[in-house]
Amino acid sequence: MRAPAVGIQHVTRPLTRFRKRPDAAIVLGTILVFLVFGAVDPESWFQFFTMINITRYAAILGLLAIGQTIVILSREIDLSVGSVYGIVAIAFIASEPTLGVPLSLLAALMLAAAIGLLNALLVLRGGISSMIATLGALFFYRGIIYVTTGGTVMRFSQGARAHWLTQAFGGQWLRLDNAFLWFMLIAVLASLVLYHSRFGNHLLAVGGDETTALARGVTVVRTKTIAFVACSLLAGLSGIVTIAQNPQTHVTLGMQLELESIAAAVIGGTQLGGGRGTVLGSVLGTFFLTAVRSEMITLGAPPSWYTAFVGIALLLGATINTVMARRSGA
Amino acid sequence: MRGITLRFAAIVVLLLLVTGGNSYAAAYKYRFVMVSHIGSNDPNMKWLTLSMAEFEKRYPDVKTEYVSTNEYSLQKFVELLRQAIATKPNGIAVPIVSSDALAPVLKGAIAQGIPVVAFNIPDPRPQGKRIPYLTYVGGDEYLAGLRLGQHALELAKAGKIPNPQRVLCAIHDAAHQGLKLRCKGMADAMKTINAQVDNLFITADPARARSIMQSYLTKNKSVNYIFAVASWSSPWAYGVAKELGRNPGVGASNGTIVITVDESPVALEGIKQGKVLETHSQGFWLQGYAPMEILYWYNNLGLWPQADFLTGPVIIDSTNVGRWVPFVRNVFGTEYDKQVTW
Repeated sequence: MRAPAVGIQHVTRPLTRFRKRPDAAIVLGTILVFLVFGAVDPESWFQFFTMINITRYAAILGLLAIGQTIVILSREIDLSVGSVYGIVAIAFIASEPTLGVPLSLLAALMLAAAIGLLNALLVLRGGISSMIATLGALFFYRGIIYVTTGGTVMRFSQGARAHWLTQAFGGQWLRLDNAFLWFMLIAVLASLVLYHSRFGNHLLAVGGDETTALARGVTVVRTKTIAFVACSLLAGLSGIVTIAQNPQTHVTLGMQLELESIAAAVIGGTQLGGGRGTVLGSVLGTFFLTAVRSEMITLGAPPSWYTAFVGIALLLGATINTVMARRSGA
Repeated sequence: MRGITLRFAAIVVLLLLVTGGNSYAAAYKYRFVMVSHIGSNDPNMKWLTLSMAEFEKRYPDVKTEYVSTNEYSLQKFVELLRQAIATKPNGIAVPIVSSDALAPVLKGAIAQGIPVVAFNIPDPRPQGKRIPYLTYVGGDEYLAGLRLGQHALELAKAGKIPNPQRVLCAIHDAAHQGLKLRCKGMADAMKTINAQVDNLFITADPARARSIMQSYLTKNKSVNYIFAVASWSSPWAYGVAKELGRNPGVGASNGTIVITVDESPVALEGIKQGKVLETHSQGFWLQGYAPMEILYWYNNLGLWPQADFLTGPVIIDSTNVGRWVPFVRNVFGTEYDKQVTW
């Protein structure tokens, strides 16, 4: 009788381990969505352009969602990412005629890092809640975009569009968008940093229980500052990738992306209370949202329904993740 | 001590406000406010602010103010309108972005004796049922869509462009009734040849808008016309059609025809480059100037226009774009070339 029990254990242990993962629900949800859409609408779903469309928008939203995940894991939130995405992209375009592509890209990313640092200062030194500080930043940087551009984003010159560095972010490789490849690379790197580095340990410890983390010698301020800067940098990079791909833009660039990025992270199993979540979950949360919107439009549902769907998916995702976390004792 | 300091500061602020207000009132006979949905995120704002500045030059006894929202939020727009009314101006010019939402607010202002001129977007309800403003100055959103559609059909009939099979009307602001009217006008024009027009809410974010249009066009392969109801979204529509191999452009052999609105640099250069078939002008300059003139005449002489003042549409295509470019360049100056994002 023992042998079968051991056999069952071999099967159940990985299943139990899987169920304990914060991203278990979104892994199943994404597989389900891909299977259902493939069965319901195979003609459109398996088209090359559908996949390109999903991966392209997922790359843009996903970079933001990874950054958001890092901040949420530290038990903070960054509502400014939509405006940071916009202002960094516009700064890249605006400074290019003077600085050239490499330096303007560097300057734009430095701007992103500076915004992240300022957010961290406001929250960690100023004692303002991250929700309020970054909400203020969201409005402030959007306002700066409107004031400085006068309603129109400058054109990105043909020379700049053809520059190798622009192409490195906006071009294609083996018919796949470079933006998507960057997204995948950054997702892998972020996963490695979160789960196999000292900083990752500190981040999860700070998000799990700040007092205990502090007692164990973790420098909370430094850890959270890095999280805010990384989040802004990824938002900025996402903006640059967008411009490199499609330079015809507008001052509305990035509007409401902050909420979509939070939704992707939460649906992906990241708990707003901090300390629990995975990069894989947020990546899948991004794919899930993007795929559902694409298919809803394809099936003829008005795109405005998508907004309602995100709300339902968010509530369902958060509930399922909480229930699964409780049941697995995580 | 702290209490005394605070009271002193409050008295100083109050005195400044009162004296400031008096000197303001003494400097100008009238103050007119334009409450607009065309904010600094929209290049068309320049037409309105420049024409209002011209009006001020002609009437030095009038102070004009331009206030606007940048978000596509009806709630914020109503809030801004309420704030403008609370300052008790001698007249208000306002677009009727939503008849239901604006009616109680504007009726209240009119009851207080503040004359109202609607501009850019009218109350679409018939006379007697609509908000009792003095008059409407602006284009006719429905006519804009209708005339653009009819003009495209004429060109298709002449064999210059393909016949419309199905039309996508790409809307970036779901709450803007004027944009929906443009689509309705286009739909009515297309009805004559039984071509279907689909309204699609694409949102204002470029990446998301492209993604939505791409999803839609991937499925709906018979769509061969895209009507972008904001000129800044026309390059996105063109780009998506090109990526999907739909051969966008202006010619009998082209697969997708892009139509847009407004006499903006991006629309005009799109026509010049053969990427956009046509656009329209709704006389934006007049929409800034004429409401001020009407409010002035009403306050001074009791003028009450007996009909609406339509400032458009004028259709612009490759045959007359050359005449429009210098005019628009004159308004936008060096900004003109910067705004061409093609």
